[in-house]
Amino acid sequence: MNMSKIDLKKVWIPGLLLIILVLLGTSPLYASIYTVILLTSILMYIVLTVSWVMFSGPTGYISLATAAFFGVGIYTSAILGMKLPLPLVVICGGLVSFCLALLVGALTLRLKGIYFAIFTFGLVELIKHLLLWYEINMTGTRGRFVILVDNNTIYYVMFIILVILMLTAYLIRRSKYGLALQSIGQNEEAAAHIGVNVTLVKVITFAISALFIGAAGSIMATRWTYIDPYISFNPLFSFMPVLMAIFGGLGQPYGPVLGAVIFTYLEEILITRFPYHYMLIFGIILIVAILYLPDGLVGLVQKGRTRLSVKKEISPPVSETETVAQESSSSG
Amino acid sequence: MIVTILDIVIAGLLLGGLYALIAMGLSLQYGVARVLNISHGEFIMLGGLTTWTLYTAFGLNPLVALAVCGPAAFILGFIIHRTLFKRLLASSTSSSIFESNSMLASFGLMFIIQNIALIIWGPEMRGYSYLAVPVNLGGALFGANRLVTLGFAVAIGLAFYIFLARTRMGKAIRAAAQDPATAGLMGVNINQVLALCFGFGAALAAMAGMLISMCYPVHGVMGMEYTIIAIIVVVLGGLGSIPGSFIGGFILGLVGSIVTYFDPGLALVTYYVIFILLLLVRPTGIMGN
Amino acid sequence: MNTKKNLSRREFLQGAALTGVGLLAAACAPATPAPAEAPAEAPTEAPAPPAKDKIVVGLSRPLSGWNAVIGDSAFRPVYETFVEEVNADGGVYVEEYGKKLPIELIVYDDKSDVGTMTRLTEKLIVEDKVDFLWPASGTAFLFAQAPIANKYGYVLITAEGGATSLKDMLPSLPYVFVTLSFSDWYQIPVLADILSEAGAKTAYVTYIADLHGIEYSGVSGIEFPKKGIEVVGIKSLPPDIKDLSPVIKDAKASEADIFCCFAYPDQNMPATGTSMELGYNPKAWVGGPGINFGFYHTAFGPAVEGVMGFTSFNPKQSEAAKALADKLWAGKPEDVQDPWGHPLYWAGLETWKQAIEKVGTLDQEKIREILATEKFDTVLGETWYENGLLSKDCHTGEIGQWINGLFEVVGPKEHATAELVYPKPEWPTG
Repeated sequence: MNMSKIDLKKVWIPGLLLIILVLLGTSPLYASIYTVILLTSILMYIVLTVSWVMFSGPTGYISLATAAFFGVGIYTSAILGMKLPLPLVVICGGLVSFCLALLVGALTLRLKGIYFAIFTFGLVELIKHLLLWYEINMTGTRGRFVILVDNNTIYYVMFIILVILMLTAYLIRRSKYGLALQSIGQNEEAAAHIGVNVTLVKVITFAISALFIGAAGSIMATRWTYIDPYISFNPLFSFMPVLMAIFGGLGQPYGPVLGAVIFTYLEEILITRFPYHYMLIFGIILIVAILYLPDGLVGLVQKGRTRLSVKKEISPPVSETETVAQESSSSG
Repeated sequence: MIVTILDIVIAGLLLGGLYALIAMGLSLQYGVARVLNISHGEFIMLGGLTTWTLYTAFGLNPLVALAVCGPAAFILGFIIHRTLFKRLLASSTSSSIFESNSMLASFGLMFIIQNIALIIWGPEMRGYSYLAVPVNLGGALFGANRLVTLGFAVAIGLAFYIFLARTRMGKAIRAAAQDPATAGLMGVNINQVLALCFGFGAALAAMAGMLISMCYPVHGVMGMEYTIIAIIVVVLGGLGSIPGSFIGGFILGLVGSIVTYFDPGLALVTYYVIFILLLLVRPTGIMGN
Repeated sequence: MNTKKNLSRREFLQGAALTGVGLLAAACAPATPAPAEAPAEAPTEAPAPPAKDKIVVGLSRPLSGWNAVIGDSAFRPVYETFVEEVNADGGVYVEEYGKKLPIELIVYDDKSDVGTMTRLTEKLIVEDKVDFLWPASGTAFLFAQAPIANKYGYVLITAEGGATSLKDMLPSLPYVFVTLSFSDWYQIPVLADILSEAGAKTAYVTYIADLHGIEYSGVSGIEFPKKGIEVVGIKSLPPDIKDLSPVIKDAKASEADIFCCFAYPDQNMPATGTSMELGYNPKAWVGGPGINFGFYHTAFGPAVEGVMGFTSFNPKQSEAAKALADKLWAGKPEDVQDPWGHPLYWAGLETWKQAIEKVGTLDQEKIREILATEKFDTVLGETWYENGLLSKDCHTGEIGQWINGLFEVVGPKEHATAELVYPKPEWPTG
């Protein structure tokens, strides 16, 4: 192995990461107001997508409950926004989602594969209609106003949520716990056999991912100023993270992030530049992308990289699944 | 009292017929071809708006439009599977990757179809009045158009069921639904069968759209609402079970009708409570194994 | 073991770095078109205004999604026709620049999503630096957009949407002006008035379970009894309801004189169809938004004789009204007509243009001042705002009814173009 190259990478990549974090962290100081607003949306979608991948990526359980946790965060913000300071509101939003996810997780243990996906989808609709019925018959209204917060504060809160999420995701991946999670995705029964508490690992991860989604919802609500059950529990918020993750590619940790960034930005360009045909163009791009990049954008990056590595006669990196398989077999 | 019960039951059946039809279409696409077709509702919309155009511009009887919409949608669906989903199937390394990739593709398809419909028809509500006259059934009153809708929904559903049960092609489809790999080994041209399923799914959706347009206004952005109903019914009936979807549609219609009688505001809540409870108690659906 | 961990960390870092690059690219890109706009912003406070050759107006509209149904038939034809007409005349005269400035529109698609709408509204204001903001579509959207426009000091004359709860907010939103008439401004009092005079004694009210429906059913619960009309039944409809027959049967069993369906086209149209199918013939059949649209009439044809809804004018009322109807509707299918919203939105745009011409500048604060205090000459006649609401004294109608294939004004009496038909003729059978 070429040692000097690895050393260079050790410095170069964390360095770049640091620069990006600093740039993002300070962007309200020099970027235009709208750039900050748009970045907030992009960060929001990264939070949703990465949270989704945190649970659904390794386990293979497709969750469509994102909109439910997001909406719960929004409603927490609408109800508590005037009564509590903002950081507490955001934490509450996360915690309420966390509890809901614990409950849902505990209920759905028996469901496998696509049934879990459909259950979580039904959950969004159930909460939406129940809340609508409750608001109309018990509180006599449908919508609620949310306290106004200035753009930079919203941005910073979202940025902090994202940083904590990234750290959590990274730590989970590296820990024994993350391996347990991976092994559930490979073979749930085998995982249980080698001593993984399958139930606990699944439910806790699901709840942690919901924590971040809920927190993102409660801060985002302050940008929307007015909300109702239909606005808050829009099923699109369930589908978007899944589509963004697929679009980016699930093969690498950065894939979903890349997917979220490009997806959001692409849509932004299309609805402003081609408002009358944005759906048509967007739809065509999606189909072409999925046809030619079945592994998402990551596939494209990897293709390029493999070509490079072949040139330099470096053996291709050990794929993730192999790593996990080895890890779990060695620990078992 | 008896009239009230009759009222509720028949109203439930009328709604259930439509649900059954749209669910059978999705059941073929999702249960057999493994495409969670988010654009399913768009085919319903296309069927409805085409019928409206044929009726208002050319005076074509909506029931005759059935003969136009059905085959046209079948061809469209068949071509879409042949060009798009077949390629995805070939390039996807596992069935779960195909499921997620095809969902993304169908999402793109939904966007494209909806935008084309907006360009052609605009987003305005389109409606027409056809056979909107009361019919008395044992003291309970119903619109003639709704009864015709139910009749056609049942007829289409039964015809399709017989096709599946009796013909060679139908048997191939059922074999593919149960076990695609074995079906392939037994000499079934699996790609052909999947494309047929997708085409039939689209045709059933378009025909349902035609029936819907007789009772409700149709417009370019109506699709998603029906896609969601179809997903619920398909799960209710059991994934891959076409009779299950048919029966599931009627059950959902009946439940909706009963709850609406007491409090319309709770109808949808009840749908989802049933749906969620059913998934917890019996995830394979009414007719699943 | 150790090397593997390193590997995964390296991968993670690489991933994160790549992502960051993507993010940065996204962050930098929208800044690029900015320079084009830059010269316009710099000398805002300068005494000699910079040369300006157009007025840029920004809109976030539901071009796609569920709300497109309303947006496309209500305000869109009005603002498109208005801009065409003003520009054909050379534009809006602004004294400060000593010339007429044509209007240029920037239209974005909010996908019928409130979150997207709020973001695009801020983009129009802070990034595109539009001279003016025209409204988004729908009451909920209005609730979200009004505080933003007000925060940035942008005059917002609204179109689709209006609500009693909004009325209470207007004192805190000095830049927001509402044109559309609504429940207690002044539709339901007039409805109760003309129906009680015709002899109606009882009413059955069904309403869509949202802000709009709750408000209308609430106001009718207050106004009907005032005129001696008893509300004998009341039922809410969930927005996604499909089969309305249980509600119609319930209404039929109540034998009320008046049937009210305070909902949207999505419910009003099936409610009409179901009433026909079930032979439900109350003496008055009143529906909310949808009944007033031309597409309602084209869908059901002559069968809708006698159905009542909301309106604000009729081309027969004046020369100006006739001229507006010709501008908006002539040569187009009947589907596009909206006699409730169109004249009010048009009047709103006229007040906007005249306010600019009166102050002779594009300064939002001065224009706001004029709009809040002065009177204008519009299609409705003399027009002014009262605490941010288009004064009800300017309305040229509240209640409409389909009579001989035309949507006539039947209330209030002083603006009526036809006599109220009560009881309404039965639905045709066969």
